[in-house]
Amino acid sequence: MRKFRIYFILLVLVSILVGCTETNILDRVGLTTLVGYDVGTEEKISTTAVVREINPEFQSNVEVITTENETSKGNRMKANRKLSKKITVGQMRVVLFGEEVAKGDLHFYIDSLLENPSVSNGLYLAVVEGETSELLQHEYKNIDDIGQHIYRLMEQNIKNEHMISSTLHEIAHDYYMKGKDIAMPIINRDEEFVELTGVALFHEGKMVSAFPVEDSFYLKIMRDNFKAGIFETILQKEDIPPALMKDTITEMPVAFDAIRSKRTLKLVDPATPEFDVQLKIKARLLEVHPDINTGDPKVIEALESAVSKNLSKELTRIVAQSQSVQSDIFGFGDKYRSSVRNSELTKDKWHEMYKNMKINVKVKFEILRDGVFE
Amino acid sequence: MKSSIQINPKDMINASLVFFVVHSAQVGVGIHGFQRVVYQDAEKDAWISVLIAGLATHIVALCMIKTLEIYGSNDLYGIHQEVYGKWIGNFFNVIYILYCGIAFFSVLRNYIEVIQTWIFPGLATWFLSATLIIIIIYAFSGGLRVIVGVSFFSIMLALWIIPMLLFPLKYAYIEALYPILEEDIIAILKGAKSMAFTIIGFEIIQIMYPFVKDKENVKKNVHFSLLFTTILYLIVMLVSLTYYSEGKLEKTIWATLTLFSFISFPFMERFEFVAICFWMLIILPNLCLYLWAAYRGAHRVIKISGTKFVWIFSLLVFIATIFVQSRSQINMINTQFGNIAFYIIFVYPIILLLIVMLKKKFTSKKEQNNEKV
Repeated sequence: MRKFRIYFILLVLVSILVGCTETNILDRVGLTTLVGYDVGTEEKISTTAVVREINPEFQSNVEVITTENETSKGNRMKANRKLSKKITVGQMRVVLFGEEVAKGDLHFYIDSLLENPSVSNGLYLAVVEGETSELLQHEYKNIDDIGQHIYRLMEQNIKNEHMISSTLHEIAHDYYMKGKDIAMPIINRDEEFVELTGVALFHEGKMVSAFPVEDSFYLKIMRDNFKAGIFETILQKEDIPPALMKDTITEMPVAFDAIRSKRTLKLVDPATPEFDVQLKIKARLLEVHPDINTGDPKVIEALESAVSKNLSKELTRIVAQSQSVQSDIFGFGDKYRSSVRNSELTKDKWHEMYKNMKINVKVKFEILRDGVFE
Repeated sequence: MKSSIQINPKDMINASLVFFVVHSAQVGVGIHGFQRVVYQDAEKDAWISVLIAGLATHIVALCMIKTLEIYGSNDLYGIHQEVYGKWIGNFFNVIYILYCGIAFFSVLRNYIEVIQTWIFPGLATWFLSATLIIIIIYAFSGGLRVIVGVSFFSIMLALWIIPMLLFPLKYAYIEALYPILEEDIIAILKGAKSMAFTIIGFEIIQIMYPFVKDKENVKKNVHFSLLFTTILYLIVMLVSLTYYSEGKLEKTIWATLTLFSFISFPFMERFEFVAICFWMLIILPNLCLYLWAAYRGAHRVIKISGTKFVWIFSLLVFIATIFVQSRSQINMINTQFGNIAFYIIFVYPIILLLIVMLKKKFTSKKEQNNEKV
């Protein structure tokens, strides 16, 4: 019994001592929700942090602080000197890069984010047109917490598949893959709003080109299987089959709600290399010219083939644009690596091959149903 | 046989509990980051290495049990004394005790390292190691049956972690595994050898064997347990290979924990923090079993009492944890220990079985001759 008592006292002591570690009490910390990186004027990195200070009695306070230093941790120290509360990064949701930083090299930033165990792998990355400090420092009329706002904006668009997903995990995954390059959404300020304006393409860690936001649907279906999302396209005159319309119009906009798309890649010739891309899309017709009789199966068929033709044209165009800047954001290289034995692929080698790659896009577009009114 | 152990039936355990003992002794800190080590050798065929390593454990366990069956009710230490005589036998026993000590130290230090990197960067090593050692002493003082109980609960309470591996599957690309068998067989075998540090632990059966009540069921339970461990490791490996891309896996130190860092619930932002703290329950039987194995050896060699031994042992380990501080030192210890363990666990039992069988043949012939005369 005496022996037991000694152990018991020791256990109690230990459990009390556990309370002596560093504490992070919510009232006494500033939660960094968003960080933006720019190229500094004097020092290497200029950081803009959106810090939310929780206050139990009053409304929470949001501070936007810009500091300059050689490293990002140095910037955190500098920001700490300006705040009454300790800065923590565990709640960081979004990291933004200024255009100039993105055109430099993101390797350093990706690695330092991965290194820190308190940074979540699920945070979103994006590029800002121009400077991030300009976007974040602006006093918006209707936005209280700019950090939370940008996070919700990105989350909403990515969850609904209007925009390509760019979580830290996915970016790091593609960055360290031999046969794929990274792509991120572009954010810009439009007067009193913050909006997604496009998709940035990277060659290794450098931003080399951008697609307008209208192309993000094509990017999505080309990159991966797809589950939801509205898209609209304009059928040009030469694509419109005569069976569809009697009077001549130059172009016809149509809108669809893509229900499901499935991408199949096939390497047909490893030497060139040449790929067959097969896309199966099932969609719901949302908006179409009122003259088109959607009750007629023949008309639907003609419409389907017109959209298929239009889609394969657009897809070939975006792949060609990415080829011209040697940025394989679609992952053709990984398909090449997994189909060719002992390819010993490296990123440079693949970029060289990617320039001359040929693709044959085949789209099988199927209209499942339209609305409740024909 | 003179050194065989007679144990009070009250202190014995059921053979079905051996399943839990073997599994909990195998799974410990190695599972945190074995993917990277194996990947460095076998690249995307690393999952084949895991399978080969699992197969090797079955073969070795077969040899171990065969050796034990020849001697009826005896442990490895007793067999050493029988086979090599008192002095050389004790020399081997001391090596084995040292091996258990290093294994204990390695598990403890690796776990402390994980806590310090992920959760409490400011917490001192001595504090964490003292805390853990006190808990282990407490469990040890309860005897073998308590340790086996700890093993049982550690597995039962940790089972819920396995379904958590479903979450990362959202980002898994099966293409990452193709083309299968691109690496040559040497690289895959090398990868299997690197698994040694992660997959050892089942050698505890060599010490625990005399304490099992129904010895005829030991074989079945050990093999079930090994199969379970192999499948677990295989699943973790496959998920990691498809979740990470080539370069990223090579740079991730604790791939399993990073795997968890994506999981977040509405009521819990970062799951891996919970997983790491919970891991103490998983390494606890690990540490207890190694300590117990070392104690059994010391008891056979110098007849030391349990209380005395546990304090000396703990003090030595405690001092050692303070001296080893940096990541590179720990990494070196892991690699070296993995190498030594490979020979002690995977090569030596087979040699021992051969020696024992030869000796048996020789002595039985001699006995026959004696009878004739």
